[in-house]
Amino acid sequence: MTAVATAPPRARRRFTGSVGLLALPIAAWLVFFFIVPFGLILWYSFGEKPSLYVTHSNDVLSLARYVEALDPAFLTTFWRTTQIAIVGTALCLLIGFPIAYWMAVKLSPRARGIVLALVLVPYWTNFLVRTIGWQITLSPEGFLSDFLNGIGVLNGPLQVLYTQQAVQLGVVYNYLPLMILPLYVALERMDHRLLEASRDLGGNWWSSFWRVTIPLALPGIMSGLLLVFVPLMGDYITPSVLGGASGSMVGQMVAGQFQRAQNWALGSAMAICLMLAILLVVILFGVLFKLIGVALARFRHLGDLDRAGAIS
Amino acid sequence: MTTTVDRPTERAAETRDEPVARKHRTPLGDVVLGIWGVAGLLFLFFPVLVIVAYSFNTGRQLQSWDGFGLDSYANAFNNPTIVATIQVSLMAAAGSAVVSTILGSFAGVALARRGGRWAVWLVALLGLAMVTPEIVNAVSLLPWFVTLGADWGLSIFNLGQVRLVIAHSLFACAVVTFIVRARMAGLNESLEEAAADLGAPPVQRFWTITFPLMRPAVISGALLSFTLSLDNTVLSSFVSVAGSTPWPVYVFASLRSTLRPEIAAMSTVMLLLTLAVLALVAIVLSRASRKTGDGSGLAQTLAGG
Amino acid sequence: MSDKPVRVLLPETMASAFSKGLSRRALLGGALGLGVTATLAACSTGGGGGGGGSASGLNIYTWGEYDDPAVLKDFTSEFGPSITIDSYGSNQEMISKLVTASGTSGYDLCVPTHQYIPQMAASDLLEELDHSKLPNMKNLDAAYIDQEFDPGNTYSVPKDWGSTGYVYDTTVITRELTSWADFWDAAQNEASGKLSLLEDPGEIAYSYFLANGIDPNTTDEGHLEDYRVFITETIAPHVQAFESYPSGTIAQNGRVLAHAWNGDARQGILNNEDPARYKYVTPTEGGNLWQDNWAIVKGAPNADAAHEFINYVLDPEVSLQELIYIGYHTAVQGIEEAATEAGVELPELIFFTPEQVDKLVFAKLTDAEQTIVSIYDELTAAAGQ
Repeated sequence: MTAVATAPPRARRRFTGSVGLLALPIAAWLVFFFIVPFGLILWYSFGEKPSLYVTHSNDVLSLARYVEALDPAFLTTFWRTTQIAIVGTALCLLIGFPIAYWMAVKLSPRARGIVLALVLVPYWTNFLVRTIGWQITLSPEGFLSDFLNGIGVLNGPLQVLYTQQAVQLGVVYNYLPLMILPLYVALERMDHRLLEASRDLGGNWWSSFWRVTIPLALPGIMSGLLLVFVPLMGDYITPSVLGGASGSMVGQMVAGQFQRAQNWALGSAMAICLMLAILLVVILFGVLFKLIGVALARFRHLGDLDRAGAIS
Repeated sequence: MTTTVDRPTERAAETRDEPVARKHRTPLGDVVLGIWGVAGLLFLFFPVLVIVAYSFNTGRQLQSWDGFGLDSYANAFNNPTIVATIQVSLMAAAGSAVVSTILGSFAGVALARRGGRWAVWLVALLGLAMVTPEIVNAVSLLPWFVTLGADWGLSIFNLGQVRLVIAHSLFACAVVTFIVRARMAGLNESLEEAAADLGAPPVQRFWTITFPLMRPAVISGALLSFTLSLDNTVLSSFVSVAGSTPWPVYVFASLRSTLRPEIAAMSTVMLLLTLAVLALVAIVLSRASRKTGDGSGLAQTLAGG
Repeated sequence: MSDKPVRVLLPETMASAFSKGLSRRALLGGALGLGVTATLAACSTGGGGGGGGSASGLNIYTWGEYDDPAVLKDFTSEFGPSITIDSYGSNQEMISKLVTASGTSGYDLCVPTHQYIPQMAASDLLEELDHSKLPNMKNLDAAYIDQEFDPGNTYSVPKDWGSTGYVYDTTVITRELTSWADFWDAAQNEASGKLSLLEDPGEIAYSYFLANGIDPNTTDEGHLEDYRVFITETIAPHVQAFESYPSGTIAQNGRVLAHAWNGDARQGILNNEDPARYKYVTPTEGGNLWQDNWAIVKGAPNADAAHEFINYVLDPEVSLQELIYIGYHTAVQGIEEAATEAGVELPELIFFTPEQVDKLVFAKLTDAEQTIVSIYDELTAAAGQ
């Protein structure tokens, strides 16, 4: 920004003024293809389905579709989805953090690059195809079932496919890279001297992990949680492939209203509910993030004071 | 590969302090961590390997192993539907990459170079586009395309390819914007201003100064949009039109009737191509950095520096 | 990053994740981009590729595994238009797609079941047929044409007909099942958790009504409510999957009890290593008699090719080839004799005895349709618990 002082004010203003206009196309694009369609389903959600072959009508406006959308059948699916999403996100963090830590801290820079590539390679195989890979694996007549029977772990065919456990496994698998990446980035950028400093000051592994590593990795953790949780809530592919009847999630219910029941009004109301729930979670995450940040800063500060006191 | 370029001071610090670090660490912990990491990698690779193995299945159904053979590869390439869906997917991906990159790059520059009240709104809009579940986008876009195409007579929106490109670009252009903004925010404006001082017109300034600076971010953004589009199933299955069915939608549909080994074969071919080009990119990048010395900057940008 | 104050702007958090994390992925991702472009080149030069979306192609929207691939191939080599098939699992799904697209779906042909044709025609979803382009209609058995749902075959030509029953794994269910009542009983006992139902709201309702001696075309609210309670409370916990084409699963011994259409059940049994393991049941109470029909979609880009194709499959030889593959009666005169002569496998799953046919009920589209669809939605939600 030192250049600002030396640049003639008029030239600078003209330059940056026109630069602002560059954001117009994307704004127009998103408004036309994202906001307007969203407004359209918001509008539909206040309408009704008048007859068998008519998808929606807004002649009578009401909130009845929201009442319908929140009926027990939808709510149970909604809760199940939330449950799968929370457990899935937590598992991704638990599994992903040590992997990211191992990659960022323990590996040599050269190995790091290779392992990072290895983490990403499966990610370019189509999402759906990878999920089919699990379907083959978990099939009761599949090779895994035969193998487990062969070594005597199981007696009888493997009963995992088309259960909620299968969906849980599938989502953890599918979203794990989205957790590892931001964690890795955060950990890799961490100044390792801080860890050493913490140990030199007498901290053991555990305390330096909690007081140095975790706070530094916090932005990565938060991004990872969001990157996993948000798409997971709306997932529709994984439960369709692995869930059978028992793992159905909200995404499938919304899709069903458009693809089978032709009830756009109800489907729209369900979609809006899903969207609101996700926004709520995102906002909660934001608040939580801030609170944790503040708490950690204070905690660290207090700890420093304590130590200072102890040393003196 | 990109990560081998790193801040030298940090690296030096780490190697220097290594012996001190060893004293405190329990090697057992490291071993456990290493095992965990390798197991994690195996977990990530596992279904991919299953697909590759089953692509050699000669049976009629993918899931039930019959015998080993290359029949499925021949069948995949001789199946006009499969080849057509791959073509549709590639074209949609290319279109989506072009659209998202242009829109996103402009917006990224604008955000990095000039804030203001609108910037907050734009970031919020982009953020919203990124957190909206695909299924919500899908169910809202479909009626909108039908309104535009059938009710308002804008027949361009009846074309499957156009719909796919638009649908895929929504998320991707937000991603490109953030990548470009991150790159531009890290560069100061003195070069552009120097050019302005010397009287270069804005367009020329953009092409000779700004664009070369943002190029790495633009390239990575374009490639990312391309892959995001190739992977998209949910949006595609809602908006696609008969005759322009993309590959993932074809796979998803076969899942309901019969999955054939051809699907695994085609997926394997695509994976192998990925790996080949991956190696190529790695070689080109490392050569470029050796030749110019500037390449480290490029690699760093791609790595997010 | 390390000394950056923790701030809350979420988009920024995400932005940093994307710009830093994903852009690495992007670099590598580029690999895929270039790689696949290479495939594109390879495909378009070597593979002799199909024209995705070209006006010369024929797009058929039909039930899964519903035509012999060889027939499709022969048609293309004989007449030119390359064929693209998309499949659906229920009439509701197909109609939804056509209604939503309002004439822009891009499909040329669809295959609705008889009871949906009058309303589809009334809702302007179907194109009238040009009978002068369908000389082979003369090959059709008179019993299947000019029916109540489409007088004079204005909109549709019979493709085939069949019925709904179920298959069970005789190694698990050792007793003999013969009726719908047995089906629902086994569903709650031996087959609990290993049961699949058709993805078709109407079919499930039919099977319940028939088992309980109720007219399957009932619109009685009391009956519908009983059905709702039974299916969402008693049956839902036992359902493993909703599958319109259980043949693939049956071929792999993946299900103990599967609600199925006769032709699909036959394919599953034939593809199983041990065809004797599964048994198909034509329930004693009777069943849904359905007839699927070729129809041209309103706004079909290639109506000429669509007519050509319908005419092609009405040729007795082609029809026989189709029958042998899909296992449904194709409504062409003398097809049963021809099939028997050709030594078709499991003929009892294709051709029903007169006693069986007597008990089949022609499904009607009633006012209860919407209720039945919403009960199905409840069932899918309830099955997950």
